[in-house]
Amino acid sequence: MNADSSGGGYFWTNFFLNNRIVSGSLIIIIYLAVASIFAYIIYPFVAKIYRGERTFLSPVSDAAIRLSEKILGPLAKKEMRFTEYFGVLLAFSFLAGIIAFIFLYYQTVIPVIAGGTRLGTSLTFNTVVSFLTNTDLQHYSSPMQLSYFSQTFVIMGLMFLSPVIAFAASMAFVRGVLTDSGNLGNFFRDFIRSLTELFIPMTFVVTVLLILSGIPETLNHSLLVQIPFTNANEVLPLGPVSSWNAIETVGTNGGGFYSANLAFPLADPNWFTNIVMFVSLTVIPLSSLLAMGRVFGNRKFGTMLFYVVMTIFIFTAFLTFFSEYAGIPALSGLGTIFTGNMAGKETGLGIAQSTILNVGSTMTSTGAVNSALIDYTPTGMLGVLTGLLLNDPLGGDGTSVMNIFMFVIFTAFLVSLMVGKLPEVLGIKLESKEIRYSTLTIISHPIMILIPLGITLLITGITAGFVNSHAQNITTVLYEFASSASNNGSEIGGFNTSSLFFNYTDGALMLLGRYLLMGLELLIAQSFAVKKARGESVNAIQLGSFNFGMMMMFVIIFMGILSFFPVLVLGPLFSFAKDFNLGVLIP
Amino acid sequence: MNGGDLLKNTITGFRPDILLRNPVLFVTEISMILSLFAYIFHGFFNLPFSASYQEFYISVFILLFLTIFFANLGYSISERQSRSIVESLQKFRKESTANLLRDGEITLVKSSVLRRGDVVIVNRNEDIPMDGEIIEGNGYVSESNITGESRPVLKVLGDSVTGSTKLLTDTLKVRITSDPGETFIDKMIELVRKSSREKTPNEIALTVLLSGFTLIFLMVVSVLYTETGYIGISPNIVFLVVLFICLIPTTIGSLLTAIGIASVNRMSGFNIMAKSGRAVENAGDIDTIILDKTGTITMGDREAKKFYPAPSISLEDFAKFCILTSRDDQTREGMSILKNARKIIGEVDDSEYRNFKFIPFSAETKYSGLVSDTGYIVKGSLRSLEERFGIKDQYIEGICKEISSRGGTAIPLARNGKFLGVIEMSDMLKPGIKERLDLLKKMQIKTIMCTGDDEITAREISAEAGIDEFVSNSTPEDKFNVVVREKAKSRMVAMVGDGTNDAPALARADVGLAMNSGTPAAKDAANMIDLDNDPTKLIDVIFIGKQILITRGALTTFSFANDLSKYFVILPAVFASFSFLGFLNILDLTNPLLAITSALIFNTFIIVFLIPMALKGVRFKPSSVQELLKRNILVYGVGGIIMPFIAIKLIYMALASVGVVW
Repeated sequence: MNADSSGGGYFWTNFFLNNRIVSGSLIIIIYLAVASIFAYIIYPFVAKIYRGERTFLSPVSDAAIRLSEKILGPLAKKEMRFTEYFGVLLAFSFLAGIIAFIFLYYQTVIPVIAGGTRLGTSLTFNTVVSFLTNTDLQHYSSPMQLSYFSQTFVIMGLMFLSPVIAFAASMAFVRGVLTDSGNLGNFFRDFIRSLTELFIPMTFVVTVLLILSGIPETLNHSLLVQIPFTNANEVLPLGPVSSWNAIETVGTNGGGFYSANLAFPLADPNWFTNIVMFVSLTVIPLSSLLAMGRVFGNRKFGTMLFYVVMTIFIFTAFLTFFSEYAGIPALSGLGTIFTGNMAGKETGLGIAQSTILNVGSTMTSTGAVNSALIDYTPTGMLGVLTGLLLNDPLGGDGTSVMNIFMFVIFTAFLVSLMVGKLPEVLGIKLESKEIRYSTLTIISHPIMILIPLGITLLITGITAGFVNSHAQNITTVLYEFASSASNNGSEIGGFNTSSLFFNYTDGALMLLGRYLLMGLELLIAQSFAVKKARGESVNAIQLGSFNFGMMMMFVIIFMGILSFFPVLVLGPLFSFAKDFNLGVLIP
Repeated sequence: MNGGDLLKNTITGFRPDILLRNPVLFVTEISMILSLFAYIFHGFFNLPFSASYQEFYISVFILLFLTIFFANLGYSISERQSRSIVESLQKFRKESTANLLRDGEITLVKSSVLRRGDVVIVNRNEDIPMDGEIIEGNGYVSESNITGESRPVLKVLGDSVTGSTKLLTDTLKVRITSDPGETFIDKMIELVRKSSREKTPNEIALTVLLSGFTLIFLMVVSVLYTETGYIGISPNIVFLVVLFICLIPTTIGSLLTAIGIASVNRMSGFNIMAKSGRAVENAGDIDTIILDKTGTITMGDREAKKFYPAPSISLEDFAKFCILTSRDDQTREGMSILKNARKIIGEVDDSEYRNFKFIPFSAETKYSGLVSDTGYIVKGSLRSLEERFGIKDQYIEGICKEISSRGGTAIPLARNGKFLGVIEMSDMLKPGIKERLDLLKKMQIKTIMCTGDDEITAREISAEAGIDEFVSNSTPEDKFNVVVREKAKSRMVAMVGDGTNDAPALARADVGLAMNSGTPAAKDAANMIDLDNDPTKLIDVIFIGKQILITRGALTTFSFANDLSKYFVILPAVFASFSFLGFLNILDLTNPLLAITSALIFNTFIIVFLIPMALKGVRFKPSSVQELLKRNILVYGVGGIIMPFIAIKLIYMALASVGVVW
């Protein structure tokens, strides 16, 4: 450290590079800026898809739609109302789930493609539900448990299906708001359009980028390497990692090819792959929010959504970064040069790049991790947890639009009353039905987390095998259920998650978190679908205004605080207070 | 209902089956019973037992009792108000005798046997037996018993009259327009009664929201119980009960019904009858108001101020023609012209006009007068005369323009292709109208004035009064078109009307306010009726509508904002055994029992402070939506977060200083 001796021109070099808190903050800002820039670049394209306008890829989707019409007949042409649209969506998901279940359950015995180890019923159920609902919670312990076929086709197939289904639902939602025809559109058409025009091209681009940057993409199962000096033989597991990572992030899935997910060195080797994956997991949700401005002809509305989510994003990113940088007294007080809490983090990436990806993946419904969450400091964890507790404010592909819209309706109701106006959104008058559904959507998330949490803590047997202290266990269980209910899939670990209890409870939460919410949201779309969105009148509460944005952010955060504060006090804050010796423990 | 009844109602409100309608209060009552249980059977929940704990348990019970008591009180007061309104209305529903005219014969019958379509004769100093419409005659009617206005009102042909009002002069022939039980007063009683039962869509939505939050807080507190058990301390269940009560939105939950009733009561206080609570709420959302010029912005009782005969005609001759055209004219203008013209030339010889027929004034033709096959004498608006009779006169036009630019109305007279002169009708702005229109402007509400006058008069008046837009030479269809045009811009439109011609526009508008003196058709189409016949009251209606919504929104926001402070007061008390969680105790309340009691005291007594606010509505400064939002977020949102911290700390210090030591 010769910062003092180097004068003048070296000051800024020191300031930006050697001062790690500044350089780390800069890295986080750069990550967010790059993601935002890409979101701004592709949002007109996303808006076109939402508005049903033609893109340069429309010929491809037209061909696919014609094919689907041949196969499915009138069903693929029909304009659907809520019951049909959601019914078809459910049936389609259920069918995919059943097929995946059969292939996974019998993966060891199906001829030709047999492989892996036998997964129990509960684990198979959990795995299928998890990938079907875009959660990608991985209760199986290592990818070796899955056969090569299951991994590449069943799981990756579901990873493609789930974001596309959600995106189709969001297209129906947007259509419901825009139209007054009473119809939500056709599920198959929406599905095919979003698959062929958005997801396949995006995944392709990201895959190419990742392959170029050195992530494996091979049909070889493994590579035997002989380590110099020791001459020991090591087996490096390989596979289509690049394309897996691409759909894992583009589809806001988050399930890792390796059990350590992106923390495995081959999955996320350097800063370039890290930033590519960060951008690809945030870009569709972010651009969808921006696209809302163009879709509803109210540019400020889209910008408002973007800024509200960005503000929460920045706050949680820095909370986690600073917490990890500061560490805890037990470590930082050891007397050696403390470089932040590097436990469980990839040295090639460092604290800033590790934390921003983990926060980004809980802000969206991705859940991919590039560092071990169990080694995070309590407040660092709180930053990552915030996203889960707020039901992924940035959301997943498709769900980002629908989830945030629930808060828009809820806030518009409250704000309208506060200024003495009848509640309306984008020129559509809100009635008690819409407010009822949006309230249900918003409160169901905390309820889905709190009920199983309370039950789990009551049954002593469940938490007996946990490795941590009581407070950390509360955090762990809270994290597990929050991750399931918000369809995120991020995991702390620290206990054997593949038990009957957690497999089925998480599975149920994932299904409810996905389809109950989607159903309620589409119900709102249906009741909007008979009313024409005429745009805001001059005198209405301006949804794009600063005041409305502030109020909405306040509502989102306050909702989280009111629902989870007592739990947080006994979880992360408890550990934090203990770590920082905020008092003397009186047992 | 006297004070004793009030108390009785408040106490009956404790019945669980009544409280069940309000989930928030119902769970409060259960908690109250629980705390009493804790007081009596202290060993039951492993609760700590000592003299101070016993005092604490009983004070929790008392405070929860008071919470429900105050909530019921707010409801009972508003109920009492509406009941007294009903009672005073019922007094007017009295039986009287009526002179029923059937087949040319008059029979005396009771008013209760009258049916729609019957025709009755009402003589001087008799009560009008039932709601109806004047089909012959005119006279002064005292409506003091329903409007409180002692000055009698002139009712002319086509006006509607209300049952139980009294005719003071002349004789009227009235066609009955309603069956017994459907009269105006019946409807009004029904409405005030209904207001305490019927919930508006907004109220329903808010109830759902509040119930949802109550459910979440139930979960939060239950999980807190299992968590504390898991971490190894057995929590005091009464602490958790208090935390739960403090978190659930007791304030807005208990006052929600009272707010709705109070708003309808306030409307009745303004002598406005709203046909539904929904109409009142709609009023708050108005973006555009369509106002008539005459009677709303200007005094309306237009008087013939001055006569300007054409150069070739003497003043006496001109006055004579004025009398001839106005003798059968039932409009207020016509009567005034007749009265003032008679001052110039007493009686006139009308023998040569025997075969002329009188054409009454209509809003479409805009002229009236005598017409025969051989000639005509008419008066009306300059444009209508020019167009209808194809005459033109620069001198007359000049005078008209001059009168218009003074804000007056010019009524030229024409006879057989020649203008005779002009009558100047004076009209003044109503006192205070400019200030009221300014308030509307501050709320960004657009005002449109419709007038049958020419453009110059309209421009003059609207500039003087501060009107945003005007439609001159307007016909009733124009009014309807303006409503349609504004609604197409997704604006909420309010309008005032009284004539049958206004009915389509009234029905189309989001808020249609009809005058009580208006025709039955107009009153049917409107969703509000003003008993005082004061069109400017539309502005009050908007205020009340806004106020009721703001009161609900503000109290809801305030209620939830309050919750943050309660976490920071009660959680440290619950976790008092973990000293390192002391960082949560930002208020530095050292005694857990006292801290929890302070929070509950705040929670209970804030209701008392908010009852007047709920009944009278929150005060608000008329301003733009954005400004209002900013202000209310600051006052009820941010203020709602900060205020309880200060209040609870003060209550705690007060309790400690008077020597409550637990």
